[in-house]
Amino acid sequence: MSARTVTTLLIQLALGGLVAFALAGRAQAQPQQPVDAEARAQAQAQPIDPPRSSTPAGKGVSKRDQVQSPSAGAPATAAAQRTKGGLALAFWAFAALTVLGSVFVITRKNLVTAVMGMVGTFFALSALYMLLYAHFLAIIQMLVYAGAIMVLFVFVIMILNKPEDEPYAQSGKFGKGVAGVAMAYLLFRIGQVLIDVPSHLSAAQNAAPAKTAAGYDWGSTAAVGMNLFTDYLFPFEAVSLCLLIAVVGAIAIARPLKDDPSEPADAPGPAGAGGH
Amino acid sequence: MQSIFADVGFGHFLALGAVLFAIGVAGVLLRKNVLIIMMSIELMLNAANLTILTFARMHGDLGGHSFAMIVMAVAAAEVAVGLAIVVAIFRGRRHVDVDRLNLLKH
Repeated sequence: MSARTVTTLLIQLALGGLVAFALAGRAQAQPQQPVDAEARAQAQAQPIDPPRSSTPAGKGVSKRDQVQSPSAGAPATAAAQRTKGGLALAFWAFAALTVLGSVFVITRKNLVTAVMGMVGTFFALSALYMLLYAHFLAIIQMLVYAGAIMVLFVFVIMILNKPEDEPYAQSGKFGKGVAGVAMAYLLFRIGQVLIDVPSHLSAAQNAAPAKTAAGYDWGSTAAVGMNLFTDYLFPFEAVSLCLLIAVVGAIAIARPLKDDPSEPADAPGPAGAGGH
Repeated sequence: MQSIFADVGFGHFLALGAVLFAIGVAGVLLRKNVLIIMMSIELMLNAANLTILTFARMHGDLGGHSFAMIVMAVAAAEVAVGLAIVVAIFRGRRHVDVDRLNLLKH
């Protein structure tokens, strides 16, 4: 077992552990769901014993809502506090996983390690989409990115398995100075946004998104489909044409040329039947 | 003052998107391998998606979801064509180092 394999395994283990940790935080937050949804409506009128049975509206309320419900009354405070903690934990864990994975992508010399960091980033982003009520997009993110695009990257890395001798681009002292100043400014502004963000949003913003006019849950497959096939039908068709062109173009580009002198004789290309 | 670790708002998602985009830009500027550069471009597209979805949630507008979906489709097309170009270049030159791919420069 080479050192590189061990490193990759360790990184995968660390990423998996982070995901498990965050999932545990979310599972802890789960049982409080109906209590807080009802308690928010009845906090003032009925301080004791919020009903456990959840109405259809209560079912639609998810954890994202509870994170930002500052108006929860006294009886639900402890539960809401715990729920909030669990949800904030989920956000911070997945955000950390996202940033960690992307830093891996741009720092690792080993390409497979970089791809593994990228997979972690995409899974964590999918979880963050869930926190934003984008259920359909979260699943699509997993299928398209973590499934298809990553496999494509791994295949290409397999084809051109060549170690880099000098992975980082050269830059002079001037370039480094400018980049450092720009980076410091950017980090400063991001920190400002993070500190200044209001933690208590208005009640309208706190509420779970209303159902669409057709009666579907916000962010569900049906709701996104209705939106995509009515309001955004032309972009949808245009993007399908774009995909078709990309498929044809990719095959045309990657196909080995006829009588290509640079083509090694012992490597029959995947499109050899069409090319020769 | 409330700790930022106790509660998360939309600004946190936006800041995360900004951080992710910045990391993607750094990857494009710093690395020389074409594959890493393409992965960094993917990171930037994902950061934009996260921002779009956050704004969709803020405004309760499902149009953001449609936009994010279209961004994903375009990203998939870009990866397919880009990797085909990478394979074609590697077939002829035996490397994918962007600093040495300067045929149009001279």
